Amino acid sequence: MGALEWLSEEVPHLKASFDSAIVIGNAEFGMTQYILWMIICWIITCAVILIVSKKLTLIPKNKFINTVEYGYQFVRNDMGESVIGHGYKKHVPFLATLFFFILISNFVGLIPGCKTPTGTISVTWALSLISFVYFVFWGIKTHGGLGYLKSLAPSGLPIVMVPIIWFLELLSTVIRLLTLAVRLYGNMFAGHMVLGIFALATSTFLITGIQSIDVVSGVLTLPWFLLLVVMYALETLVAFLQAYVFTVLSSVYIQLATSAH
Amino acid sequence: MEITLVLSALKVVGYGLGAIGPGIGIGIACYGCCVGTARQPELQGRLFTNFILGAALAEALALIGFVLAFIM
Repeated sequence: MGALEWLSEEVPHLKASFDSAIVIGNAEFGMTQYILWMIICWIITCAVILIVSKKLTLIPKNKFINTVEYGYQFVRNDMGESVIGHGYKKHVPFLATLFFFILISNFVGLIPGCKTPTGTISVTWALSLISFVYFVFWGIKTHGGLGYLKSLAPSGLPIVMVPIIWFLELLSTVIRLLTLAVRLYGNMFAGHMVLGIFALATSTFLITGIQSIDVVSGVLTLPWFLLLVVMYALETLVAFLQAYVFTVLSSVYIQLATSAH
Repeated sequence: MEITLVLSALKVVGYGLGAIGPGIGIGIACYGCCVGTARQPELQGRLFTNFILGAALAEALALIGFVLAFIM
């Protein structure tokens, strides 16, 4: 099978195409392709939200405005009110910003030729750092510095168990920084890698089939292409789901930090 | 060359072993969420949030394995 060997030769090139490369400027003052796409996503998010918020009407007539309003309502009701509960209103702008930015970033990456900004660890790391600082800030604002540290361990424990549980809870709080970042990065990066491999397999099998008049390779193109389409549909689901999971986990962490135990 | 190959293969095997536990855990959590929703559909929102939280806690172990496979 010539096609499979060719495919295994092409995979390192595919992997190299996901590495950060400087596209504007030089190594000192420049930006990689991911940062460029992050800025583009930021502009798209700002444009969509600003245009929609200017044209809000009591009775929605425009379908696009209605869709964005539905998205905002989804964040407010499903992630804000049902998770945080009392006093959720002041957190909704933050959650909505996170949700829309991550959603648009994930979906931009699905367009062929575009890069997803969340497919690199530095962007997701920054996002999770923002979320971490936000919920620790609100925890300290609600309980006070020492009170927040004390509130990490749930009340009502036997006195002997408190230091152990407190230490474990501290560990699990700090590790949220890592897991939030790596979950988003891992899902987006692995998904795009799989899409790339299936697309490469389709093209290598097709080209081998045409060039060396190999019927087996030519017929095998079809299942590869079908797999590619199925994975593309799955990635569309994952793009939405990861934005949802990131936002809902942020709101759960806010709720855990601000609620009185 | 040989040793590098064996080491990188072992990293992937280690990640695979680390993903067993979280896989079982998320499966059980999803089962519980489905059964709970079938019995009390009106609690769906809260059950799903708890499911996401539990899945996130279980998934943390697999993610740590994923990171270790990269940085080791």
